[in-house]
Amino acid sequence: MINKISETRSIFDNDFLQISDPQSLEELRIKYLGRKGIIQQLFDEFKEIPRDEKKVVGQALNELKNYIQSRYEELKAKFEEEKSKQELLFDVTLPGRVKTIGSKHLITQTLNEIKSIFKSLGFSVYEGPEIESDYNNFEALNFPADHPARDMQDTFFINENFLLRTHTSPVQIRLMKSMKPPIRAIMPGKVYRNEVISAKSYCLFHQVEGLYVDKDVTFAELKGTLVAFLKQFFGKDVKYRFRASFFPFTDPSAELDVWWQPKGKEGRWLEVLGCGMVDPNVFINVGIDPEEYVGYAFGMGIERTAMRKYGIDDIRILFDSDIRFLSQF
Amino acid sequence: MKVSFNWLNDYIDLKDIPLDEIVNRLTLAGLEVEEIIDQSKNFENIVVGYIKDKRKHPNADKLSVCIVTDGNNDFNVVCGASNVQVGQKVPFAKVGAIIPSEGIKLEKAKIRGEISEGMICSEKELGISDNHEGIMVLNSELKEGMPLSEALGMNDILFDIAITPNRADALSHIGIARDLSAIFDRPIKIPKVELKESNFKSDEIASVEIFDIVNCPRYVGKVIMNVKIQESPEWLKKRLKSIGLRPINNVVDVTNYVLYEIGQPLHAFDLDKLSGRKIIVKCAADGEKFITLDSKERKLTSKDLMICDAEKSVAIAGVMGGENSEVTYSTKNILIESAFFNPSSIRKTAKRLGLQTDASYRFERGTDYGITIWAARRAAQLIYEIAGGDVAKDEIDVYPNPFQTKYIGLRFDRLKKVLGYEIPEEKIKKIFVNLGFNITKHDKEKITLEIPTYRHDIEREVDLIEEAARIYGYDKIPEVEKISVTLEEKIDQSQFNDNVRNILTSLGFFEIVTNSLLKEDIANKFGNPIAVLNPQSIEMTHLRPSLIPGMLQAILNNLKVNEKNLQLFEIGKVFERKHNDQLKSFDDFYEKESLIIAITGKAIDREWYDKTRQFDFYDLKGYVQTILEKLLNSEKLITNKIFNTNDFNIGIEIKYDTKIIGRGGLIQKELLKLYDINQDVYSFIFDLDEIKSIPTTKKEFKELLKFPKVYRDFAFIVDESIEAETVIEVIKNSSSNLLHHIKLFDIFQSESLGKGKKSLAFQLEYYDESRTLTEEEVDKDFWNAIRAVEEKLKAKLRGI
Repeated sequence: MINKISETRSIFDNDFLQISDPQSLEELRIKYLGRKGIIQQLFDEFKEIPRDEKKVVGQALNELKNYIQSRYEELKAKFEEEKSKQELLFDVTLPGRVKTIGSKHLITQTLNEIKSIFKSLGFSVYEGPEIESDYNNFEALNFPADHPARDMQDTFFINENFLLRTHTSPVQIRLMKSMKPPIRAIMPGKVYRNEVISAKSYCLFHQVEGLYVDKDVTFAELKGTLVAFLKQFFGKDVKYRFRASFFPFTDPSAELDVWWQPKGKEGRWLEVLGCGMVDPNVFINVGIDPEEYVGYAFGMGIERTAMRKYGIDDIRILFDSDIRFLSQF
Repeated sequence: MKVSFNWLNDYIDLKDIPLDEIVNRLTLAGLEVEEIIDQSKNFENIVVGYIKDKRKHPNADKLSVCIVTDGNNDFNVVCGASNVQVGQKVPFAKVGAIIPSEGIKLEKAKIRGEISEGMICSEKELGISDNHEGIMVLNSELKEGMPLSEALGMNDILFDIAITPNRADALSHIGIARDLSAIFDRPIKIPKVELKESNFKSDEIASVEIFDIVNCPRYVGKVIMNVKIQESPEWLKKRLKSIGLRPINNVVDVTNYVLYEIGQPLHAFDLDKLSGRKIIVKCAADGEKFITLDSKERKLTSKDLMICDAEKSVAIAGVMGGENSEVTYSTKNILIESAFFNPSSIRKTAKRLGLQTDASYRFERGTDYGITIWAARRAAQLIYEIAGGDVAKDEIDVYPNPFQTKYIGLRFDRLKKVLGYEIPEEKIKKIFVNLGFNITKHDKEKITLEIPTYRHDIEREVDLIEEAARIYGYDKIPEVEKISVTLEEKIDQSQFNDNVRNILTSLGFFEIVTNSLLKEDIANKFGNPIAVLNPQSIEMTHLRPSLIPGMLQAILNNLKVNEKNLQLFEIGKVFERKHNDQLKSFDDFYEKESLIIAITGKAIDREWYDKTRQFDFYDLKGYVQTILEKLLNSEKLITNKIFNTNDFNIGIEIKYDTKIIGRGGLIQKELLKLYDINQDVYSFIFDLDEIKSIPTTKKEFKELLKFPKVYRDFAFIVDESIEAETVIEVIKNSSSNLLHHIKLFDIFQSESLGKGKKSLAFQLEYYDESRTLTEEEVDKDFWNAIRAVEEKLKAKLRGI
């Protein structure tokens, strides 16, 4: 037994030399000092030995246990000291391994915001082509040929039949021709105007068109719906006014202005959207009975709305693709 | 259109209404006041000055130094005008004044060494006229120090009103007054025309004949003999100047005055220059040349309506008169034309000639055919007052087919149905009476209205509803507080693209929006582009057949600001012709939704934990795979190598069945050169329309694996020409269905492997969904694969 004890001690010494980290030290403790550890096993054997040997063996065994215990404690303390020293040196101020998330264009973000408001009000979302027929873009919308109303929208023509749509309103025509009322939809998309590129205008921009056709649609509902939109989009304290206007495809027609108060500058009314009740001629052109059905329509420019909301004063920055701009939103 | 507040008050009394309210109500009723110009504010700090003394500038020949007094103080002023004289009363702008024509604030200055404390102004500098020949000299009786606005009587307020194209009736002061009359419910006063007529008749002196009654339904002529052409009196000049018109002579000024009073364009001919004293209204001869009042030669077509005399053309009808019949200071006898022309004919001519005049602007919107005689007589009255002469007793009025009076009914319940609100009947009636409509019938349900001859825009009941609503005030129509929504399925056609955007932004891409219009030579490099008939500039003549040019431009824009590491995408339409013939239907061209992604610069920049690495093809391919995996069932995709195409140097094209759904790779250097881009760009274009058209399989839950996966690794030495996919195919074909995944995890090339050789290392993943695999069966499969690769590819097993 005595031999075994001294053998254990030298095995332990050997094991102990291999220990380099707190985890293996813990494993060593369990191996020797654990409840089923080597020391415990030796104590179990100790119970079986003859009485006269017990004194000597017991002393040796206790010595071994104390020895292992103290070596363990010693190293544990050393590790703890090292650990706290390391913790002290651990530099949490090093920059993290940052990942880049991209972003949707500000126009898309603004459009999505508008879309989600109108979707919550029961509107579907439809799209249409950018090259349109003269008929869908003008004639069907009650712009007669050779009428000064056509001057309201400078047009890029492809030929006598086709043009780049000047507004999203032709999608109204496509919808009303292809489905029966009730129709409640918004129609976002890119539109083109033959204008000189400047801080205020670009040759293309985005619009959202809205249309609601049913038997009991009223101007009062148009007002209520658009005001609900304004309050969600600009905040509930938004100051607005409906002003009489003219669009060939609506009658009565109105423009909706919002009061704009830039910091430190004089406030003014800014036009946000055009709207009105669908003109009976438009209904006739798409085969809907204007006596039975009533409808409202509206259209707004996304860029101008976004510029207003985010304080951008030059539209061209939206199309410059400058990452320093894109990554701001 | 500029409208003078003083002038308006001739027709309607508005003096007691606050200006703000007038402006606001006009705007809300559809006559949008865009600007209010208070004339008196134009001349702030500009006063009547008296020139006390003048001496030559010591250092400049053409300048003089004057002492100007405002009655209280004397000022030293350097002046460059040659007409400046001691004793003159002049417009004197003090330091701090804003010079109207330049908008610049005047400051104390030293001019060639002499101090100048103000400025003596010319008419041009004051914005009064174009006259810049010397300083303006004022009436000597004016008191020095008096504000210039008061001295000039320029105390008017001008409204700049935007008039929508439907409101031809509002293009005059009386027109605006009529709306104000309805808005504020007060009467308007149309001037009474009482003429002192001579006892000869117009048709005894001149004659009118209309050959084209479609384009000229009515022509009124009035003769005035022995007029004295001279400058107009001050009051008339002032009115015209206030709304931005240049006075010419008394007769011409009267015609302009009446135009802005009632909206009827008039033209005065020198009667003695009209051959045969005859007017014939007919179309021009094709190719005819004609010199207009502005001394420009115009080429005409047989569609242009002309006013002619017995021999020649004398005016382009409704657009501009001719030099050959112009009223000049030697003119004695005149013929006043007051006609109604077909709007569409005038518009075509004016547009084709690029010549918009006050007359054509009104004629093409539709003038009041009921006012022609009144306008001619009104002009005669004013001419008589300021130019004298003998006014013919009557007018020549050629009006063979008078227009029918329009009557339209307005049902009260319809008004309520459209507006969702009732306007009191009495209110409605008052509005229409004030707007000049006659109520011809009235019962419980409806009223019938006679439409005034100046309201071409009122054609249907709904137009009457709009009139009632806009005058009553849109603000009085309540907003509903709730709406009802149908329960049918809602559709969102934009959702797919949004999904794509979500994937891309989460992968670190930034969305761009670029111009769809390109320069011709660029557009031609990418397909058969569609041209714009009337481009804005040569930089934007064709619709983009590809998103690549826009992307390269975007990259260039960023490189210019030293942003070199980019991950960008754009979703947009691309356009292409199917053939070179005329585009007659939507089937003759493509308009497709496209997605482009591009990466350039460093994939990883210098970091304390990592090494710099440039983006490469496999970054691009990885993004493409990730995107497609999210969008569709990618198992059916076929990838082919592409090499040296128009746009890509090397890359891949991906097919679904037979359709190409995307292609991309390293952009050709020649293209990059066009944009001065000096770094590699990897880009991929997806055909979103094709991808959208692929049926998506409904997602279903798959039981989670209950048994362990077993992995085996091996590495082979193969010929360097053997592609990874080939090895994978051999492994797949030689394995049982226990093999579920093959991962290539290492490629290694070195001299030690032998020349032209490379090592490929794979990890194979085995499992069965219903049981635990034994080591033996996995090994069997594994060794089958090894043998197959060794045999079929002449590979050498390097390790397991």
